[in-house]
Amino acid sequence: MDFSVLNGALASKSFDRIADICDNLMLQVAAEGVAFQDEWPFAIHLLGHIYVDDINSARFLWKSIPAAIKESQPELVAAWKIGQKLWTRDHAGVYDAIRGFDWSQETQVLVASFSELYTKRMFGLLLSAYSTISIQDAAQFLGMSEDDATNYVLRQGWTVDPASQMLTVKKQAIVREQKLDPGKLQCLTEYVFHLEH
Amino acid sequence: MNSVEGLVTQIQGLSSTASDVSVLQNLLKQADESLHAESTRLLPFLDQLDPSKHSLGYLYFIEACTAGPVTKEQASTFALIIARLISSCVADQIRLAPDKFISVCKRFKDQVLLLEEPLRGVAPMLTAIRKLQSSTEHLTALHPEFLLLCLLAKCYKTGLSILEEDIFEVDQPRDLFLYCYYGGMICVGQKRFQKALELLHNVVTAPMSTINAIAVEAYKKYILVSLIHHGQFSTSLPKYAASVAQRNLKNLCQPYVELANSYNNGKVADLETYVQANEEKFESDNNLGLVKQVISSMYKRNIQRLTQTYLTLSLHDIASTVQLNSPKEAEMHVLQMIQDGEIYATINQKDGMVRFLEDPEQYKTCDMIERIDSSIQRLMTLSKKLTSMDELMSCDPLYLAKAGRERQRLDFDDFDTVPQRYNM
Repeated sequence: MDFSVLNGALASKSFDRIADICDNLMLQVAAEGVAFQDEWPFAIHLLGHIYVDDINSARFLWKSIPAAIKESQPELVAAWKIGQKLWTRDHAGVYDAIRGFDWSQETQVLVASFSELYTKRMFGLLLSAYSTISIQDAAQFLGMSEDDATNYVLRQGWTVDPASQMLTVKKQAIVREQKLDPGKLQCLTEYVFHLEH
Repeated sequence: MNSVEGLVTQIQGLSSTASDVSVLQNLLKQADESLHAESTRLLPFLDQLDPSKHSLGYLYFIEACTAGPVTKEQASTFALIIARLISSCVADQIRLAPDKFISVCKRFKDQVLLLEEPLRGVAPMLTAIRKLQSSTEHLTALHPEFLLLCLLAKCYKTGLSILEEDIFEVDQPRDLFLYCYYGGMICVGQKRFQKALELLHNVVTAPMSTINAIAVEAYKKYILVSLIHHGQFSTSLPKYAASVAQRNLKNLCQPYVELANSYNNGKVADLETYVQANEEKFESDNNLGLVKQVISSMYKRNIQRLTQTYLTLSLHDIASTVQLNSPKEAEMHVLQMIQDGEIYATINQKDGMVRFLEDPEQYKTCDMIERIDSSIQRLMTLSKKLTSMDELMSCDPLYLAKAGRERQRLDFDDFDTVPQRYNM
């Protein structure tokens, strides 16, 4: 089995490509009739799906792994625990699952990077869903201590009300590039032409 | 014996140019019967052929070899040989014998299933589809086989890749039925409910002269997915659905129709009781998982309904109206719906209130313009296709003969002799 592409992606921290690389490689080696399962980096493959927020694929991969392999690889089980917490949307549980295992050298960077990404995702969710939220809850969503969480959101312009221990969310104006390609005018002409003929 | 050796020599000699290959094809057709008669002794001859050069000859040989029943050990050998043939064969050559290629690929599927290794078949079957089809609009007999392998190997994501393609050409109705049914299951697995509905809808509304099991199973899933995705289900099929489907599907899926009725009443407890009472039926149809998703979707639907009535509502009131146990649980449901883009709202924890908002999309971003643009493009392609099919139909001798017969019964003036163009 040639893992050079996968190793390259891991080395260059292109974690969003891992799931696709692993999927394709697995289909290739399986087609050649190779008994790949004992050497397959299931934990990395699973984390690759989790990294790109494809919990469905992570779940199907987990289901397809033989029981003997699940029993012999504690890291794989730990990786799936993250998946389970994501599946049930137990946001605080995700961080517990991340911290609750001593990850091997290869997976450590990937897990750490996912943790960071997940915090960002959760911050985005809080931003879109809340106008006020308790410090305690925000800390759970962000996977930080209450002090760290408060500092984190204060840097984003939120305000804190010490009396009620509540944070007021500051919505960020999203600036988007609004320049239109002049070629679109040509398309419009074609549409009108199509409608008239 | 000599004839087989002679044939090998001819395959080696006649596999380079197109005209040679067509001569070879005739020879192979004639020899096909004797190849089948000698099938047990053919395997060693394959070593003298190169699947990447002598694809057509190789195909005839392997087809004859695998015609009989196979043991598990043979299946392992054949699966490997066929996988290599699929990956290295020349598309132009195998397309001369599509039936042979399809039956070899179907046997390949049977072999990997016999070995209980469906994953082995996924990549080769996709390659086989690509080599066999004249364009991505062409649905081959191998499409359903590929999707079935994806389902069994749990490679749902890989299955999605061919479901994005628009199909306009179908060889056999059964291919389309199975393609849409398996495709629907794949989309359900990936929670792409909109696409799943579209595919299942294609099954239940497809032309059919008699009711078939695929349509019945598809209708069951169609009801469930419709409830999950839209929060409602209407039992009437569109007018263009086949009349046998209109008449029979509902009766054949009674427990599901009743489930939908219970859902429409909006009471979670009633729905749960109904599901419990009929659990065995759903279980035996392998639909229990979907049924459970239907139950949890009911909370969503009830919350969505609230957004139509209220601008702000307390979490406490939400919990009691939609029958959730606590305001916290209601908050988590609302949060999940915001995360999935199913409602627009902001939660105010301080006051324990939820404010429902309008969809912030103003249809003026560049991304949105790109999306609208691509939809227009697709529609234009479709309308051009319809026009050309309509023109083709109005020149079809069979159609004209039939229309001509009808015409005698009508007054001459009633008829427009020039087929009208269909303006879109």
